[in-house]
Amino acid sequence: MLESLPYELPELVTRAPLDTHRSTVLPEWVDWNGHMNVAFYVTAFDQASGAFMRNMGLGRRYVDGKLGMTFVLETHVTYDREMKGGAPMRFTTQLLGCDAKKVHLFHEMYHAELGYLASTNETIVMNIDYATRRSAPWPLPVGERLETLWATHRPLPKPAKAGRVMGLSKKA
Amino acid sequence: MIELDTGAPLDLHRASVKPEWIDWNGHMNVGYYVVAFDQATDTMCKQFGCGFEYTRDKIGMTFVLEAHVTYDREVKEGDALRITTQILDHDAKRIHYIHAMYHADEGYLAATNELMLMNIDYASRRSAPWPDFAMERIEKMAAAHATLAVPKQAGRLIGLPKKK
Repeated sequence: MLESLPYELPELVTRAPLDTHRSTVLPEWVDWNGHMNVAFYVTAFDQASGAFMRNMGLGRRYVDGKLGMTFVLETHVTYDREMKGGAPMRFTTQLLGCDAKKVHLFHEMYHAELGYLASTNETIVMNIDYATRRSAPWPLPVGERLETLWATHRPLPKPAKAGRVMGLSKKA
Repeated sequence: MIELDTGAPLDLHRASVKPEWIDWNGHMNVGYYVVAFDQATDTMCKQFGCGFEYTRDKIGMTFVLEAHVTYDREVKEGDALRITTQILDHDAKRIHYIHAMYHADEGYLAATNELMLMNIDYASRRSAPWPDFAMERIEKMAAAHATLAVPKQAGRLIGLPKKK
């Protein structure tokens, strides 16, 4: 485990849920149906996971400094409403759990002006050792930050769309 | 319409990892796995007559309602991909299916994508039953796939083994 990180960490945001990430639907994310393509919802959520990781102290410098990386293991998306090119997005992020190497996150994507829920994303992200490209425990200061954040997020209710298993109800 | 392929699973889709699909970790980014899988969905829909022309001719569209991805192994720029597709279930408006992405040369499983796809009326942009021409083909493919075992990546629940 890394005992420290060789750069200054940003001030930790502990709001529950986190609500700092904003983005815009890029023109190249729109498909022949005239809305944001399914894949780019995942890209937009991946950037929200990136914002979460920066808050933990694991931004670009973590990778460029050849210290480590974070890999997504699994992800689940609900597509609740369409988003058009240029639409502003607002994200919230709730920590649902964490262990020595992984975090379990739940993102919600809202249309930032109209306010509606567009999509949700539940995801597992794992810390990776740069040299071996294998899983490794969080650096010590990151583990401490996760503990602090977990204390504020743990009391939040579990989101209704978390923990879903896909299937047909037979009543379409 | 093209001749229906009732091979089980559907094993038609091929692609390769484009340079712009690579991220700062030096591998295909999580979003572009879904781009590759979405193109495999197009290959399946084309079998039913619900591909690009279906939307271009303002007949209908298909929208994804929900998706689950397992990222099993990394793929790098230029890698050849083979994607298979298995129908798990269907009803009057929807198809529940799973794609498996393999490294085409090395053979390993790189990712899976379970999806729920719904037919959409072009004018109202609301759900609608599959057209007869599509339903006939969906039923034939589903019958061919019914003999397959359900992959272990289907029906997964996300979580950590033990909560702190």
